Amino acid sequence: MPNESAIAQNLPAKQHWNAPWFWYSIVCVLCWGGWAMLSKLGSEQIPPNTMQFLFTIGTVPVGIALLLARRGKLEKNPLGISYGVLNGILSGLGGLTLFAAYHTNGNTAVITVATSLYPIVTVLLAVLILHERLGLRQILGLLFAAISIVIFSL
Amino acid sequence: MHLAPWFLYSVITVLAWGIVGLLQKLSTNHLSAESSLIWLVVGFLAMEPLFYPGSDIFRYSTWAIAAALISGLLNALGAWALFAALKNGGKASIVSPLTALYPLVVILLVPLVLHESVTKLQLAGVASALIAVALLSA
Repeated sequence: MPNESAIAQNLPAKQHWNAPWFWYSIVCVLCWGGWAMLSKLGSEQIPPNTMQFLFTIGTVPVGIALLLARRGKLEKNPLGISYGVLNGILSGLGGLTLFAAYHTNGNTAVITVATSLYPIVTVLLAVLILHERLGLRQILGLLFAAISIVIFSL
Repeated sequence: MHLAPWFLYSVITVLAWGIVGLLQKLSTNHLSAESSLIWLVVGFLAMEPLFYPGSDIFRYSTWAIAAALISGLLNALGAWALFAALKNGGKASIVSPLTALYPLVVILLVPLVLHESVTKLQLAGVASALIAVALLSA
């Protein structure tokens, strides 16, 4: 008789429908899809720097909600905090240029897909800096990414 | 070789967010995912003086301003949902590629909302990119 953990590891796909993590993932996809769509709609009128200004105000309620949920308690690791703040600055820079791309008359679907290719850079940096090894899956991913970048640049 | 302005802007986005992806891997060695998101918002706020629009803000329609504000809210809520998925038993090797497919929502909405269409060549690029993202996000 198989033990429970073995069963848990071999859950058929239909079990996903009952799992909270699956629905959280779907909420994430819908939120990010809505974010990208509204970013385009706002950018038709509003220039990139003002879009980034307003976008940031929109993120604040979630930051406050998270802070309240943790009762204001945050880890005080200086390195972790520095990474977090730097992530915000770099995310903001990436957001600014995304709004700039949407502000042009480029194709919305293509821009959204092209900018979602950022894991290429993460994977390459992880190899260069963290000395992680590429698996077959990542190599195939880079190959497909290269094909799409060539197509988009035509 | 002439590259469209949107392409050059998108390259900067990919580079910036790609570095963020690496830093996030490093930051979670020191902070919880929620703290990391809170400090990310602090990083956003640190840049606000650079982007302050002043009275120019009154030139835009209420609808466009609401779209920009809600885009920020949805982006942060999406990140929160991603962390919740990982915290509630979701394996990163499944959750990351699944959530990386958010452009599908845009691809489905664009013909309805913007009346834009994609060429067959662009469609091939979109398909290839979605496969790439799903493979790379694990």
